[in-house]
Amino acid sequence: MYTFFAAETTESTGLFGALGIDWRLLVIQAIAFLVLVAILGKFVYPFLVKSIDERRETIEKGLAEAKASQEASEKAEANIQKLLADARSEADDIIKRSHSEATAQVAEAEEKARSRAEQIVKDAHAQLEADVAKARVALKKDTAALVALATERVLHEKVDAAKDAQLIDRALDAPFKKERV
Amino acid sequence: MLNLFAAETPHISIAPEAVFHIFGLPVTNSQITGLIGSLIVIALLLFAVRSTRDGSKNRLVGFVMWMFEILYDTIYSVVGDRAVARKVLPLAITIVFFFTINNWIGILPVVGAVTWHGTELFRGAAADLNTTLAIAVISIFTAQAWAIKRRGLFGNLHRYLANPFKDPLHAFEGFLELIAEFSRTAALALRVFGNVFGGEVLLAVIAFLTSYAAVVALPVFYVLELFVGAVQAYVFFMLTIAFISLGLPGDSEHGGSVPDDPVVGPSPAQSANTAKS
Repeated sequence: MYTFFAAETTESTGLFGALGIDWRLLVIQAIAFLVLVAILGKFVYPFLVKSIDERRETIEKGLAEAKASQEASEKAEANIQKLLADARSEADDIIKRSHSEATAQVAEAEEKARSRAEQIVKDAHAQLEADVAKARVALKKDTAALVALATERVLHEKVDAAKDAQLIDRALDAPFKKERV
Repeated sequence: MLNLFAAETPHISIAPEAVFHIFGLPVTNSQITGLIGSLIVIALLLFAVRSTRDGSKNRLVGFVMWMFEILYDTIYSVVGDRAVARKVLPLAITIVFFFTINNWIGILPVVGAVTWHGTELFRGAAADLNTTLAIAVISIFTAQAWAIKRRGLFGNLHRYLANPFKDPLHAFEGFLELIAEFSRTAALALRVFGNVFGGEVLLAVIAFLTSYAAVVALPVFYVLELFVGAVQAYVFFMLTIAFISLGLPGDSEHGGSVPDDPVVGPSPAQSANTAKS
């Protein structure tokens, strides 16, 4: 039953009454508050706790992953530095080795070139001497023919082959004999 | 008749006033305000849950979640036991939200100004000693329940009772502890009641004394009362979990250490041990 005209305060007397404490109101307030706790405990808090736990787990996981990534990155960086150092060292070795090999090859090529040049010069000398000897023989033959012709003109007689040869030889041998002497 | 205008002189009553009766039971103005406050708390937290679930967060939800997280961490750091902290959480956090919202509602201008057949229709829930005492009794009973659960009935009684001929010091301490349980209940209830009721009286008196200058004077006191309302809610919360923590056996009593919490962090006992070492 609703009563809208009851404006009196609680009827209790004494200290509790003066402070407005009424056991019926006390029980009602306690029950009302426990109902509120039950409703929130059933429908609100489990989800909020779960939400916070999940968020923290995600953050923890993210931090752990970030730390692992950083460690991996540092490790990779160290590997890269090591590889670079190895590569530099190897490159230095290769350059040094190739430099010495190149020097040796150049020396060898120079030696080959020198010997080849000497050979060419030697061959040229030999060829030259052969040509000179050949030229001398040809000159001697031509000269003999010219001398025979000149002799015919001077003697006005036909010089046979035997005589001709004899005259030529004598004529040609004379200057050489002087030179030899 | 419903009257929407403030009375000419401040109306001060320590006891809540019954607005109407249901089956002979009085329904007081503080209960009406408390019911409205409770509905606001439920709506606010359900809104926070729905928004978090949907992923659509805003500043209000962010603030509620931030507050909840801080309170959650505080409970664990004081209690030091994850299982107990989770069980205590609904009571402790409801205390904060219930008192904060109701204390803030209690300073709204409609409280005290709107009357129904000459009776104030609204009154701050914490300005009723029945409300604060009921919640204080629940807090102390919860602390006792956890103490009995962890220590056993006789183990818990041993905190208060001892043979005065064998151990007179412990017997005296136990006697003081027994009295302290009642004084704690009374102190819990009276502290928040006194602050909230005093605040409402202060606002009424300032409004009466300053008359038209109340427009300038009252906002300052409103800000003060907003602060006091939130602080009193937090104090009630802290004392509740501290009393629960006092009833729990310490490390030396149950022979083990509190396990480390993977989410919240190391327990207070472990932190203290780490600091010592």
